[in-house]
Amino acid sequence: MLRRVVAALVVLACAAGVVAYQATRPSRAPASPRVFVPSPRFFQDFSPSFRTSIADLYYLQMVQYYGEHVSGDGRLDSLPEMTTLVTALSPRFTRAYLFSAFALIDAGRADAAYELLKRGFAANPGDWRFPAYLGFFAYRYGAGEEKDLAAARWYEKAAAIPGSPDYLPRLAAALLAKGGEQGKAVLMLGQAYLAGDKYAREKAVKGLECILPTEKEARMRALAPLYETMPRADADALVAELFREYVQ
Amino acid sequence: MTGQSALRIAGLHKAVHVGFRRRRVDILRGVDLEVAGNDVFGLLGPNGAGKTTTVKVALGLMRPTSGSVELGVPGVSHVGYLPENPYFYDYLSGREFLGFCARLFGLGAERRRERVEALLREVGLQDAAGVHLRKYSKGMLQRVGIAQALVNDPELVLLDEPMTGLDPVGRVEVKRIIQGLQERGKTVLFNSHILSDVHELCTRVAIMREGRVAWSGTVDEALDEAATLEEFFMRTVTA
Amino acid sequence: MNQVVAIAVNTFKETIRDRVLAVIVVFALLMIVGGLWLGSISLGEQGRMMKDFGLVAVTLFGLVVAVFIAAGLVHKEVEKRTVFVLFSKPVGRAAFIAGKFVGLCATMAVVLAGMGVFLFLLVWAVAGEASGMLLVAVLMVYVQLLAIMAVTIFFSTLGSAILASVLGICVFVAGQLSHNVLALTRLGQNAVTEALSWVVYVVIPNLAAVDVKAGAVGESTLAWGEVAVWTGYLLAYVVVVLALAALVFRRKEF
Repeated sequence: MLRRVVAALVVLACAAGVVAYQATRPSRAPASPRVFVPSPRFFQDFSPSFRTSIADLYYLQMVQYYGEHVSGDGRLDSLPEMTTLVTALSPRFTRAYLFSAFALIDAGRADAAYELLKRGFAANPGDWRFPAYLGFFAYRYGAGEEKDLAAARWYEKAAAIPGSPDYLPRLAAALLAKGGEQGKAVLMLGQAYLAGDKYAREKAVKGLECILPTEKEARMRALAPLYETMPRADADALVAELFREYVQ
Repeated sequence: MTGQSALRIAGLHKAVHVGFRRRRVDILRGVDLEVAGNDVFGLLGPNGAGKTTTVKVALGLMRPTSGSVELGVPGVSHVGYLPENPYFYDYLSGREFLGFCARLFGLGAERRRERVEALLREVGLQDAAGVHLRKYSKGMLQRVGIAQALVNDPELVLLDEPMTGLDPVGRVEVKRIIQGLQERGKTVLFNSHILSDVHELCTRVAIMREGRVAWSGTVDEALDEAATLEEFFMRTVTA
Repeated sequence: MNQVVAIAVNTFKETIRDRVLAVIVVFALLMIVGGLWLGSISLGEQGRMMKDFGLVAVTLFGLVVAVFIAAGLVHKEVEKRTVFVLFSKPVGRAAFIAGKFVGLCATMAVVLAGMGVFLFLLVWAVAGEASGMLLVAVLMVYVQLLAIMAVTIFFSTLGSAILASVLGICVFVAGQLSHNVLALTRLGQNAVTEALSWVVYVVIPNLAAVDVKAGAVGESTLAWGEVAVWTGYLLAYVVVVLALAALVFRRKEF
């Protein structure tokens, strides 16, 4: 009997020790901003059937890593490698590209984010978000005279993808105009007018009002190319709206 | 089949190679045996004499090294066999197990059902027919083993130690089944250590020793030479 | 044929009533449900995470079932001496192997169908995606496991059940890396190793060729014709391996 009681007490003491240690041990030291990330080549060679699952695991690790460091030490040293790994293993994992692109901005690596989105667009040419984000990144983080035009070209590509939102051509046109390519901007807005609903048409007209010259003859000349890219009736309707004030 | 030979074994040798160095062990060293039709034949012998191996070779479970085995029936589909210490599928009920055995002989569903129910009645297992075999006692397993050996209504029945592990009631039942088989014109060959059962059931016996048949004849012939079958058996195996 | 069906039905009953199978399936279902938790920390990729990890769970637990049950099937019959009952009846060794395999195929079909449908419904209910590709992926896992079951049965006719299980798992892993072995054969440094690699490449079933898990999460577009041809290849492989198993088993004495 005594032996049983002693044995039970030993077990209980051990259990209490385990729980007490777990509950009171010092919290984990902050994780290192540099973590080991294997080469994508390794997984590509050794796990063809489980690539996407491994990509998912590293994506989850990447999300955790970002969360841990972005609000702490702010260092995201290993993020580019993680991103490369995840997207190399699962080239159509769109959220991984988009999340990583914004995370890389937080890591101060706009260049890497831009390149990543380009890779993403190459792997997912049917997803308008890639060129749209590329346009935004080119406009926001690009440098030099040509950045507006570069952004406009990405928006233009995004707008050409079926299912893309209506505002993209207007955005592209505005940036084209800003970059000095008014003629192309007019054509772009003409297409937006043609394809859009009532609201989109109003917006296209407003956009054209902003970039067209106010002088009647010059405005006429600027609108002339529309007749080559739009059905005559639609072009007439658009021109009529743009000359309403002149008629009055 | 009366009069004809149900099983004829001539010059049967069986050697196996054991261990890493493949040492040769001769289990059978020239067995000669003939079982007449409609006979209840007792194959006796001490442990390791080669009784079970002889039966296994006769059934094709082992290949003979040399010698011949002739079945007096068209093939194994006319033979029934109860192995020693039978073990069957735990997860099947007695009824399912017998149904499975009947199916192996290609019996149609209706015939299968009739045959299984008849056998369950014959071995007294109707009440336990739906119980899984893992819950069966040794005696019940022995009885279901006999039932599976009879599922094809065989001409020749080979029973390896059919009385082992049975209580007196079980032994009486098995003896009744064997007698019933003989009455129906079947041939029974059984291995046994229980000489009183052999005395009671068999017309002919063979006594095996060290892989050979040391003596073969009728029970009466054995009793002519000794007061009891035990005494004759001991004299033969220790000679 | 009667014998094959009888043994197959018996094997199905044996394996489906095995409690270990129930435990493995419960664990698999728990792991599939665990995909919910992973989905919740994935920033809106609930469906993808559930599908991906669910399919991994189906594959790995399916492999455990295939290998451990297949390894024990033949071996248990020999060890428990139920073969005496079988082979004293008009049952051929090839019919025995075929029956065992067919029975196990039926069990595996029930197990994988259960796990696959559970995963499908869970993804549908939680992520609102009714992906038929998910069920196709499970079907292809089944095709892979058919080859592994055949190989494991073959190994179990040669040696112990544990050895057969280990070798079955090794073949599964090697089958996923078949293309690497092919790459080795092309290195051409040494004629002997090149020839050896080629033999290994031919002997090991190419399982990765019929794996469409990536397709279920939209990662790749499937070339259906190619998958169908590879499926045919694996089924032919199964026939060859089972024939070899029957050949080995025919030489056995009990």
